[in-house]
Amino acid sequence: MKYYSFGEPSGRFIGYSQGFKVYATTIARQYTDMRQPEKKAVPQGEFYFGYGPSTGGMIESVGVDLLTPGELITEAYVNPSYKQRNVTIRGRTIGDASLIVERINAFHCAAHSIAFASAVEDALGFDLPDGIAHTRIIALELERIRSNLLVIERMCQPAGFGVPANQLAILREEATRIVSRATGHRYFFSSISPGCSMMNLSGVGNAVRKISSTFSRIYDDLLESKVFMSRLINNGKVSIDSLIGPAARASGQARDARIDSATLPYSRFGFTPVLHETSDAFARFQVRSEEILQSAGIVSDALNGASNTGKMEKLEGDGEGAARVESPQGDLFYYVKVENSIVRDIVMVSPSSSNIAAFTQSMKGNIFTDFHFNWESFGIWISEAGVVLQ
Amino acid sequence: MSNLWFLNGIRKGIVTEKFPKTPPEDPPAWPSMLSGAGDARCPVDAIDGNGWNMDKCIFCRRCTPAYSPTGNQDIFTVESEAPIFHRSLYIYPLDSGSCGGCNVELMNIFAPHYDANRLGLFITNSPRHADAILVMGVFTEGMEDPLRLAYEAMPDPKIVIALGSCAISGGIIGDPALDISKYNVRIAGCPPSPYTIIKALIAAKGV
Repeated sequence: MKYYSFGEPSGRFIGYSQGFKVYATTIARQYTDMRQPEKKAVPQGEFYFGYGPSTGGMIESVGVDLLTPGELITEAYVNPSYKQRNVTIRGRTIGDASLIVERINAFHCAAHSIAFASAVEDALGFDLPDGIAHTRIIALELERIRSNLLVIERMCQPAGFGVPANQLAILREEATRIVSRATGHRYFFSSISPGCSMMNLSGVGNAVRKISSTFSRIYDDLLESKVFMSRLINNGKVSIDSLIGPAARASGQARDARIDSATLPYSRFGFTPVLHETSDAFARFQVRSEEILQSAGIVSDALNGASNTGKMEKLEGDGEGAARVESPQGDLFYYVKVENSIVRDIVMVSPSSSNIAAFTQSMKGNIFTDFHFNWESFGIWISEAGVVLQ
Repeated sequence: MSNLWFLNGIRKGIVTEKFPKTPPEDPPAWPSMLSGAGDARCPVDAIDGNGWNMDKCIFCRRCTPAYSPTGNQDIFTVESEAPIFHRSLYIYPLDSGSCGGCNVELMNIFAPHYDANRLGLFITNSPRHADAILVMGVFTEGMEDPLRLAYEAMPDPKIVIALGSCAISGGIIGDPALDISKYNVRIAGCPPSPYTIIKALIAAKGV
């Protein structure tokens, strides 16, 4: 492993899986109890309001229990394990494992595929050519644009803000069609694997610029809407130490795997993270919005020098590798152990698990009508939080 | 852009495609109907001596060049039509254990490019108001009861729709959410595109 080592905690906390805690440069073997925390006893005059697991208000199946005397929420518990998928990767070839990794969370397939591919490349001692690194940056930033558009669209919906929600849905579909024309698949499936990135980048620059300029106008108008802003300001304030991704950057902390990246040359494009200070849903909305504009700029810059390659010629050898990328929700980490092109061990640390912990903290003291704005502002995906890789 | 959102909406004009009256404007290559023959590498046994099985296929491209995508989005099977719903079909979506791809594509059919409401297709948040339950993802223990309870809560007549290869066959992830014989409609794809979903749901109505 070039970029990570097993050892004592060092650097900022990234996240955890059952057997490991991951820090900026080390992986600490520490057991984490992944079971649901025990619920607080119900105080007199309060009750648990159960929401989910199958409900129209959420994109995925998830159980939420809110302790409340009627309107104020005093405790929140999120159970992502209703749809827990136990997926067997150990013992599979690298190629088959790639197909499964893509399907951990389709909407963020590029982030998962690139993190996994980078870990495998680290394990097998493969040095990523510059051109492919650029192509992967384009894939990650395109995915960030689309993901952030969905977050903002979903934040408009509970406000009954139909026109901007639909205009953002149009932009999101246009971003999806860019991906589809570039890779042949609307969600990057089978276009990124170890040593390989296959994207037809013609027309991508212009199409992304169009999205960026239209979004910029929508963002300006949303900022002028006091009714919408009042639903976000002071909603879901949280500033705990373990924040990652947009939630961390919305509380003024410059935490971003793109700053730390050893394999993807973000520094070449003068990357500095977007920061806001107020730690609430409004700040997360601002970070996500401004990152759309920033990502569009990075795509434009990265197009110079981007190239494609076919499949990695030799996927043989033994080794351990680890890699981390900045998915739209935050740090996404993979560790793999490979023997003769077979994956013998795999650990994935998902940003959604950390964001669920942050969300539950942030709901205390909120009221019911804050729920959806706050939930959507974290961009949580249950499919990546509720998966067990075996 | 004016801050009067209503005017903003009008100024944007109509972006909805004429589909399905006209062909899809921007269909993806994958997933779509495959053409080809013979044996080929397939991680989910969707290709064997009998040719290609769309229900099992995860459209991973391993079978190229023996098989290639045609762009044809009609990759679905309607076992029994339900003409009683020909005017409107209310769908209750249930995520049994998906990767989120099918969920987003289902949501997309109601976005302005597709606007499935104009075709008499609607989402309902309660199984009590549903004509169809649409199942996404593989079987998971935690969602077994919610799936059964939702089905039992639906009034008769009702239909069961599988969306995506995980729900139909388990794909490469696990076991199917329900036995294949329980589905009235099977929509193939990983995930199926909005074009495929719309066409399949209209066909399910017998229109």
